[in-house]
Amino acid sequence: MGKFMKPRKVVQVLACCYSVCKAVIMKNIDDDTSDRHYRHALVAGIDHYPCKVTAAMSKKKTAKKSTIKSFMKIDNYNHLMPTRYSVDIPSDKTVVNKDIFRDSALKCKT
Amino acid sequence: MVAAKKMKKSRELINSRLRLVMKSRKYMLVHKQTQKLTGQCKAKLVILANSGPVLRKSEIVYYAILAKTGVHHYGGNDTELGTVCGKYYRECTLAVTDPGDSDIIRSMPEQTGEK
Repeated sequence: MGKFMKPRKVVQVLACCYSVCKAVIMKNIDDDTSDRHYRHALVAGIDHYPCKVTAAMSKKKTAKKSTIKSFMKIDNYNHLMPTRYSVDIPSDKTVVNKDIFRDSALKCKT
Repeated sequence: MVAAKKMKKSRELINSRLRLVMKSRKYMLVHKQTQKLTGQCKAKLVILANSGPVLRKSEIVYYAILAKTGVHHYGGNDTELGTVCGKYYRECTLAVTDPGDSDIIRSMPEQTGEK
C-alpha cells in the first residue's frame, strides 16, 4: 500500500486552463492548511509544447516555434490524474514552497 | 459445468465475506469516495461490479495499481453488489478499508482470477 502522490511524479492536470497538460509534482501537501482544506500539490508543467518546424521556416520563426511555455500551479488532488511515470530531476527543496508565487524571481528559479 | 459450480461456490464465499465487512462498517461505497480512499492508500481492497462505465472502472483500477491495492472484479452486476451489501441501491465500486473479522483480503488473491 504505497503512497503514490510524491514529488517527481508525472501527473496530468484536469483543471480548466491547463487541462490535458502534463506536469510534475514538485511538492505535495497532504494535510489541510489554513487556506486549503484539501490535499493539494504544487505542480510544474508544460503549457505549450514546441510546434512543428520545417526547413522552409526562417530562423526567427523556428526559434519562436521551438519555445516551451511552462506553468506552476497549486492544484487539488481531485484535479490531477496520476500516471505511473516519474521524472528524475534534482530539486532544491529550499526553493520549492508555496511562497514562490509571491516573488516572481523565485518562481523563475523554481 | 464444473467451472460454473466452482464460480457459484466462490461467489458464495465472497458474498459471505462481504457481509462480514458490512457488519464491521469499515467500507466505502460511492465511486468518488472510493477513488479518494484509494488515492490516499487507505483502501485495502477494491471490489468492482461487472456493469458500469468502463472508463470509471479502468480509472479506479489504475489508481489501485499505483497504490498497490488489490482489485477484485465481482462476478455480478451493480444491482447484485448492492444487494449483497444490504443496500437498496446499485453499487459499482466498493472499497474495504479494514477487513476486521473477515478474511476477504487474505483470500482474495486466490480468487481474483475468477470472474
